[in-house]
Amino acid sequence: MINATKKWIFLKISGATLVPLMLWFIINLINFYDQGFSDVVKFFTNSSSKFLFSMFVINAYFFSALSISEVFEDYIRNNKIKNVANKLLYASAVVIPLITIILITKL
Amino acid sequence: MESKTPLSPHIQIYRWHISSLVSICHRITGIINIIVITLICLWASILLFGESNYETINSFLNSFMGKFFILGITWSFSFQALSEIRHLIMDFGYGFEIKTTKITGLIVIFGSLILTVVFYLIGKIFF
Repeated sequence: MINATKKWIFLKISGATLVPLMLWFIINLINFYDQGFSDVVKFFTNSSSKFLFSMFVINAYFFSALSISEVFEDYIRNNKIKNVANKLLYASAVVIPLITIILITKL
Repeated sequence: MESKTPLSPHIQIYRWHISSLVSICHRITGIINIIVITLICLWASILLFGESNYETINSFLNSFMGKFFILGITWSFSFQALSEIRHLIMDFGYGFEIKTTKITGLIVIFGSLILTVVFYLIGKIFF
């Protein structure tokens, strides 16, 4: 299997799993966004919310990194710039979810 | 080094169709969503630093602009979800006829607006 096929399969799987997670999160966000500090903390400290939110963030960054790299492929001609942009994209897709998950587990 | 691979044709060359509108909006909402998710990660991280640091965010979210922001991201998430479902259906080989692509495109556009209202009501009243 060539890399482009693998990338396409990962993109489709992450896209399919992201849809329910995105809907779960947006309904919860509407429910608690204007609540006080303690209510928001209560949401993020609940073990099932913490797990689903972590899955949501990991999946969203994974999916976005793959999708945005396609946009780079379509619109950036210079290979050097494209490689740097892709490396920064993949690094942020690992670092941001990791830091967020570590911080919310400490809540 | 310049790549030999052809780039996507410029969007101004072709006449606009519902499918092209949905496609470009899918990309734009995808970028908006990842920026919003980054802000949400920051928001969740700020909780660790205590209530006093949270006040500014809380007052923004309770303002008119804050509510508009939440409605905006609800629409953006809804659009992305519906458009992703449309793409997944097309990946199984369905919905390539011109009439069908127009209908599914319209479902994504109007469906995302309806879903925004539905999700807001579910989140605020029933959840």
